[in-house]
Amino acid sequence: MIKKIEDLNFYELLEVSPQANAQEIHKAYERIRRVYDPNSVALYSLFTSEETAAIHQRIEEAYRTLVYEDNRKKYDAMLRNRNELPEIPSPPPPAPKFQPRPFQASPPAYQENQHTGSGPGAMPQATPQPGQEGVSPVPSFVAEFTGPVIKLLREQMGLSIRNIAEMTKVSVRYLELIEEENFKKLPARAYIRGFLMLYAKALGYDPDRMSSDYLKRYDAATGFPYSLRKKPQV
Amino acid sequence: MIELKDALRKKEIWAIGGGKGGIGKSLITGNIGICLARLKQKVLLVDADLGGANLHTTLGIGVPDTTLSDFLNRHTENIQDVIIKTDIPNLNLISGAQDFLDAANPNFAQKTRLFRHLETLDADYILLDLGAGTSFNIIDFFLFSDHGILVVLPEPTAIENAYRFIKSAFYRRFKKVVTHQGIKDLIDAAMDQKNTMGVRTPFDLIERVKQMEKEVGEILELEVLKFRPKLIVNQVRTKNDIQIGFSMKSACQKYFGIDLEYLGYVEYDDCVWQSIRSKRPLTIEYPYSRPSRCIERIVNNLLRKEQFTLSMLY
Repeated sequence: MIKKIEDLNFYELLEVSPQANAQEIHKAYERIRRVYDPNSVALYSLFTSEETAAIHQRIEEAYRTLVYEDNRKKYDAMLRNRNELPEIPSPPPPAPKFQPRPFQASPPAYQENQHTGSGPGAMPQATPQPGQEGVSPVPSFVAEFTGPVIKLLREQMGLSIRNIAEMTKVSVRYLELIEEENFKKLPARAYIRGFLMLYAKALGYDPDRMSSDYLKRYDAATGFPYSLRKKPQV
Repeated sequence: MIELKDALRKKEIWAIGGGKGGIGKSLITGNIGICLARLKQKVLLVDADLGGANLHTTLGIGVPDTTLSDFLNRHTENIQDVIIKTDIPNLNLISGAQDFLDAANPNFAQKTRLFRHLETLDADYILLDLGAGTSFNIIDFFLFSDHGILVVLPEPTAIENAYRFIKSAFYRRFKKVVTHQGIKDLIDAAMDQKNTMGVRTPFDLIERVKQMEKEVGEILELEVLKFRPKLIVNQVRTKNDIQIGFSMKSACQKYFGIDLEYLGYVEYDDCVWQSIRSKRPLTIEYPYSRPSRCIERIVNNLLRKEQFTLSMLY
């Protein structure tokens, strides 16, 4: 069933899944906002300026609704009444625990009155989610983080290599090589450690534990001289 | 003679169009062909730009003796006669018409005959290089193919023509599936952006058709879902230019309800211009240049039936 743009619900409008977390919604909002910018060349000749303005207003409305937990709950309930969301929300897939750390000391606090004017410059910041900083306990069946184990853990979370690549900015190829334990083709040890730290963060496991486990196997396979190795800085 | 195994061989026909002229359709077609041929695929390039053929030039071949028009005008009955072998292994070419003005407008029967014969050839991939514009001839080639690929430049003029192209293809497809004359007239009227019936978008049209005949409206909805053109953004200079592909994808989803698949982009580089000036194919003259790499990535995505994602950028 195809829908007119006015009939799209807020999730469809922002092109996110109804299970998306606040961070994903914020990212999607920023992206869609740029796409439907009145000056966007990609829309040229498709929409009139009034239509673009109307879409823009809806995008702002969608964001303001979805980014706040309370508003979102009300909206979800409303969608469920209209049978647009499944009655019993399926449990969200285990969210990756990766939290990009902002370079600024702290993001400016969001205030409602900041963009009631809806000026093009008013852009609210995502509210950082509390309680996502923790590290998941290592599952009992994992004795050691080997390539295949990491792959298994990733697949259990329903994440593809590409998802991890997007989260970590490590290329798909290197991630595959890590999972295959293809030590010959992997770059220098220091890089592998960096990749593993990022990968561990993305999966939500202790980065030091995962990288040291993996590198032990790497050292054993490649005969890395232990005497030259420094204790990794924690 | 046509061998049975050739006829049974699974082949894909890709058409490369885009509405505007001079956006690199021929260049991209030729070089996608070369990349595929290098991967040991049997490739046939067909210059379907009747009246403005220059695919042979992008491959560094002089004006050919036999062209597609010889086949279309029945100077020869066997399509094999108009196939030219290139210097590149696995790559063959049917050059575009050079002669008659008429040849630029083959009728429907000529086009179906061409496609019927293309289906019998020994090739893995048949690439059609379409001409500029949104005339029915070009649109028909686009719709006949297994995959339609649109080329755009990150410029308003090219984007405007690309949307015009999608719209024409879309409505032409609609017209093919309906028999009711009243609905055909409605589709014709909807093509005019300034029509008086208030049909602005394909959604309006489908709604209107549903009011007239519910089943036909539902068939059209199905057609919308089946229509999945692909997109290449050429002459990309900045990161924002790359984003245009994603933006067009989103806009097409919301305006037409269709899934535009973003295959990738080709970077702007002087070496492209130099390769055209020297009449040598880009991916052969400058195989390690950035545009060549971009084309390789596009071919990769095409073969894997994947789309371009941001994670492929680095």
